[in-house]
Amino acid sequence: MKKIKAEKLGLTESVKRHLEAIGVVVGEVIVPSTITIHYPRERRKLPDNFRGLILFDNKACISCFRCAHICPANAIVMEHRIAYFPSIDYAKCIFCHFCVDSCPTGALRPTKIHDFVYKDMDEMVVHSEEMVETPEIVREDSFTVEYVFDGDVQLVKKKEKEELVPEVKPPERPPKVAAALNPENCISCRLCVAACPTFAISAKEEKTKIILEINVDRCTACSICNKICPTSTLGLVDR
Amino acid sequence: MPGMLEIMVQNMVNIPLIQPLVDVLLKIPVINYIVALILWRPIFAVLIIPGLGAIMLVLMIIVWWERKLTARVQWRVGPLEVSRPIGGIMQVMADGMRYFFQEVIVHRNAHAIYFIQLPILAFLPVLLPILLIPAGPVYAIRSDYAIPAIVALIALIPVVIIAMGWASNNRFAYIGAIREAFMYFAYEIPLIFAVLAMMVLYGSGDPFVIVEKQTVPGILLNPVAALTFIIATVMATSRLPFEIPEADQEIAFGPFVEYSGILFGLVMTLAYEKLYLMSLLLTILFLGGWNGIAIPILGDFMPPFWLFLKAFVFMLIISLLRSIYARYRLDQALRIGWSSILAISIISIAISYALVLTGWLP
Repeated sequence: MKKIKAEKLGLTESVKRHLEAIGVVVGEVIVPSTITIHYPRERRKLPDNFRGLILFDNKACISCFRCAHICPANAIVMEHRIAYFPSIDYAKCIFCHFCVDSCPTGALRPTKIHDFVYKDMDEMVVHSEEMVETPEIVREDSFTVEYVFDGDVQLVKKKEKEELVPEVKPPERPPKVAAALNPENCISCRLCVAACPTFAISAKEEKTKIILEINVDRCTACSICNKICPTSTLGLVDR
Repeated sequence: MPGMLEIMVQNMVNIPLIQPLVDVLLKIPVINYIVALILWRPIFAVLIIPGLGAIMLVLMIIVWWERKLTARVQWRVGPLEVSRPIGGIMQVMADGMRYFFQEVIVHRNAHAIYFIQLPILAFLPVLLPILLIPAGPVYAIRSDYAIPAIVALIALIPVVIIAMGWASNNRFAYIGAIREAFMYFAYEIPLIFAVLAMMVLYGSGDPFVIVEKQTVPGILLNPVAALTFIIATVMATSRLPFEIPEADQEIAFGPFVEYSGILFGLVMTLAYEKLYLMSLLLTILFLGGWNGIAIPILGDFMPPFWLFLKAFVFMLIISLLRSIYARYRLDQALRIGWSSILAISIISIAISYALVLTGWLP
């Protein structure tokens, strides 16, 4: 068995260490290095891409279902309103914001609101119309606090109110648009018309053949029509 | 009783600051008895300052101060949300309210009679020394044996704590009581020796003589005795680094583990009350007692004020120890108590005799 003995210190050395310990404590008492954020009165400065509450713009939504498809927690269900709009179940939501990232038109927007509560489980299913407006927030804070990791952690306080709903630029659409590259291949099956999530393709009957009309404004270059077309009639071209 | 009022009025605390108000109140029939009783010197000493009122004030501030100080050192905030504008000082009152309305649980195995009465009995050795601690003209009993009597009465507190541990009938309480008993012997002898050294130095056990002789504070005359007394105070009030009998992390508050509600409130404050008493004793023996800068407007209130202030500042400083040191083991603390501290306490007696025999002091 190995016995560990305490270090033998001389009188001067032990007195020095005692004084050192007392000095540290007295220093902390006078100027504490506390890094607590007094939450309701202070808020931590959050990045603009903070993954908080999700807002929805029903005019921008093209009902492409991408948010519902990508959601790893199955929290998003598309409900029929004017078109199919997403509803988010915050009981399931893991705040990964894949839906926000996948939204091709920026209809889903991120906010920095992270402090919200619901009364019961039913209320946690938030429908699209409830996500349009920014919820009312009781702001008690007058300071914005930021951690500065420069050597020791420090708190930097600023007397300002942070905007919780950042301005997010809608994502740029790919500079492409669907077009009938090989019109002679078309067999008039109209699968593309049914598949187009933004209803950009319409078909006009003319005697024995149909003419496909593509609304360039609505097309998001998702290339679903390209994939579904059995005869490779449709493709993407530069705008 | 017309005679009673006259006796009290003749021996009243004279404070020029509130004298006009007192004169008015003394003319009102019933209230004059109350005012005269409160301002009667023995009652004023025991009930207001340095007695019960001062103890309550100390309890309120020192608990908050200690929590706040520890929090600052540990990078926390400490009590704040109750009464935010004044830094959360009302937190202690809020805790007290909670203790009042919490259920007092007396468990089946406890010796119910002792279990309930001991926390209340513990106030006897806390309040009795106040009778003997004078503050200049404000005092209850003057005696040549006041200092030894105070030490003897303070020494009764651990007995009550050990009895509480026994009455709790709990393994942690039992361990805590045993630790308290061990510590009691380890610090009490050096403490008595340190007090004895100062009594040898001043040649009296009368606080009035002791304070009168301290033109130079006792801490400069015999610093070894002062050091012994301070370490013994820390051990006696079971503060860190000698928080061995209570030791939250090991035995969950030791002898007080089974207490709840108002009874816990009473026993929790016991260590602070003891610290207050020992600070008063330390002030009288080593810090020049109630000597201080004269404030004429306070009149008779001035000596108690200085005595209280000195003791209180000492308590505020000693609270810092909690965040500096870790807890000693029981065997380490006993070794310190029975070897080095006992040795320096004997040395302090030798220093006192040397000072007296060489004639440094009149």
